[in-house]
Amino acid sequence: MLRLAKIWRIVRRIVREPLGALGLGLVVLVVLSALFADVLASYPPTKLSPADRFAPASFQHLLGTDHIGRDLFSRVLYGGRIALSIALGATGASLVIGIMLGLIAGYGPRWLDNILLLVFDALKSFPTVILALTLVTITGPSLMSVVLVVVLVSVPGYARIIRTQTLVLKSAEHVMAARSMGAGSARILTVHILPNVIGPILILASMDIPVVVAIEAGLSFLGMGVRPPTPSWGSILNDGFANIRDSYWIVVAGGLPIILTTLGFTFLGETLRDLFDPRLKGRV
Amino acid sequence: MSNIASTNLSRRTVLAGTGALGLASLIYPARRAQAAGSILKVRSYSDIQILDPAFRLAAPEGDITNVIFAGLVVATAGDKWGWRPMAVETIEQLDPLTISFKLRDGIGFTDGFGQMTAEDVKFSIERIADPKNESPYSGDWETLKEVEVKDKLSGLIHLKEAFAPLWTSTLPTPSSTILSKRAVTEAGGKLGVEPVAQSGPYLLKEWLPKQRTVLVRNPDWKYEQGGYDEIHIHPIEDEKTAELGYEAGDLDYTWTSVSSISRLKENPPADTTVVEKPSLAFVWFGMNKAVAPFDNPDVRRAVQYAVDRKAVVDAAYFGAASTSTGIIAPGLIGHREKNLYDYDPDKAREMIEAAGVSGQTVVLDILNKTERLTAAQVIQANLQDVGLNVEIKQNDSGTFWTLGSKDNEYHKKLQMVVQRFSMQPDPSWATEWFTSSQIGTWNWESFDSEEFDKLVVEGKIELDDAKRDVMYKKMQDLMEESGCYVFLTHEVAGVMYRNSVAAALKPNGEPVFAEFKPA
Repeated sequence: MLRLAKIWRIVRRIVREPLGALGLGLVVLVVLSALFADVLASYPPTKLSPADRFAPASFQHLLGTDHIGRDLFSRVLYGGRIALSIALGATGASLVIGIMLGLIAGYGPRWLDNILLLVFDALKSFPTVILALTLVTITGPSLMSVVLVVVLVSVPGYARIIRTQTLVLKSAEHVMAARSMGAGSARILTVHILPNVIGPILILASMDIPVVVAIEAGLSFLGMGVRPPTPSWGSILNDGFANIRDSYWIVVAGGLPIILTTLGFTFLGETLRDLFDPRLKGRV
Repeated sequence: MSNIASTNLSRRTVLAGTGALGLASLIYPARRAQAAGSILKVRSYSDIQILDPAFRLAAPEGDITNVIFAGLVVATAGDKWGWRPMAVETIEQLDPLTISFKLRDGIGFTDGFGQMTAEDVKFSIERIADPKNESPYSGDWETLKEVEVKDKLSGLIHLKEAFAPLWTSTLPTPSSTILSKRAVTEAGGKLGVEPVAQSGPYLLKEWLPKQRTVLVRNPDWKYEQGGYDEIHIHPIEDEKTAELGYEAGDLDYTWTSVSSISRLKENPPADTTVVEKPSLAFVWFGMNKAVAPFDNPDVRRAVQYAVDRKAVVDAAYFGAASTSTGIIAPGLIGHREKNLYDYDPDKAREMIEAAGVSGQTVVLDILNKTERLTAAQVIQANLQDVGLNVEIKQNDSGTFWTLGSKDNEYHKKLQMVVQRFSMQPDPSWATEWFTSSQIGTWNWESFDSEEFDKLVVEGKIELDDAKRDVMYKKMQDLMEESGCYVFLTHEVAGVMYRNSVAAALKPNGEPVFAEFKPA
């Protein structure tokens, strides 16, 4: 009950900010539409109907149809499921790995810190798109490949931030006190350091979600993401780009959810950051 | 990603920087265009991988070798298939087995390789014909006996047997290109992407992979001059992308997608001519019988029944193209009137279940192009309907064209492919690639038939059109009966070019770059 009350207080603080309210509304809309895609979609997302190709928006097809007659509204809903599952799954995995490696680098011996820093810097030195295309070329286009790309791209950033904060907290009084009372490294890391570093990183992760959505859409647009006929906002964009002169609504159907999701998570993340760390307000 | 927060880069800075870059990109092409002069900018559908005429991989490579190396003769532009002398002053068929030629006196090779001689002709033609060299185009000189050198510039081409496609799909193609014997020998027997001893009206000046190939006028070429100082060839795989590039002013000539032809004809871009040409190319969906589950003939037959060819072609080409009955287009000797197997999903389902492969997942490789992807998705839906799951694997051109090569380990795993071949105006060109000797080269389906191989040879030496017609129809029957092939379409060719360009096109819309001129 206490936790629910705390969440409710945070929500109320978010909605007091106009951009926060908009962001939260968009995120809730995107999440709910993805969760209830089965119920909301009028057609299976992969059902072909060449006779109905390039139909503009109507009551039968709320966002129109694509070049092989698939219902775009259904594809957008199911595409949201793919985008969010990759965004949440990959960001979650990146967070877990990044936090673990950051804690180890910050709290462990100097030589291990140096090795890990070298690995982080090596990964960060690759341009994201080139790294993504290289990995997908090696592993082949699939959902897992996209997740792998996101994890490899994101982990160094999270790990570096956690490492820096761990280095600071390592010599903090409460940590030294715990150590003098005989607490082991594992307890110090999980009980005394982690709770103090996880807040900012969670906010940062929420702001990374639109980046991950864009990476997935970008790879799918290039034919290197999820495999057809699995709906993806990027592949819808690709279908639409090829026919943009005649049927602009396909690009709109693919592009709009990417824009709304990006705006939603960005506004929400920025509002959360401003609430929890007012010193950063307006600096990014 | 997340370290954005730790930098001093503000959103305003990013926006300002992006705006400046955008403005610069608008200004740069305008200035470049003003400075362009006599430059023709064209699109090809794939990048070059090899510039050795004997080992060319795709038509765009042939388009380039045709202008940087002199062939005995070269195809001409126009509404009828024809040729004109290029490296020869005269060429004449003395009898069905003998062709005499005399080279022009003033053709030299670049890089200090001297004058083109009859010895080079002998070397180049016998090099393609020699089975030891494993040229995929050896069939173009199937009945060659030898090239006899009479003197420095003259010689005789002797055939073992008459050769029907000699003047249609052998001599006017890169298979009659003459290379410097010394240059090729010094290069180890094969040329790469940096050609030596060029001899044509243009020279390859620059190749930027995936960006452009630049040809410049050859100052030493004394004969028919090209119309432009430079030709810039941009490899753009997707026709739709090329259309956007054309409309943005980056191209002067491009093939269009079939699906765009009617729109472009009704509403062409400014100062543009849009032309529709009958295509000889053939597109098919193939199954590799060397790889499970397609090593089972019943599975292959089931897939033939399962694919709704009309739906595939209608969806991929928006109704602009018709389904095909084989690999030989209407109007050519050997064109079939109908297919042996038609769409029957119920029968397909039964056969898939009986073969015990229901629920299996198979991989369909395609070139990363809009039309192929659409065709593949309809095939995927058709096969899912009868119990086979299909994973579509999109490949860029560099990867795709080597998938079935024996030099690529993947050829042992390749299961299904949607494929398209260009075509010359003789049926022998179409059947050439499906002989058993082409397995691991161009025959990616591992189709092998002794009868087919025999007919391929006989079809080339038979001069009676009626008899050839029967033979080529039979060859396509054998292909379809094997279960390896689902014939899809011959497409149609859409071409658009600036009104400031006098485009030189073969009857099927393919370019003859050397004959392009400013209008």
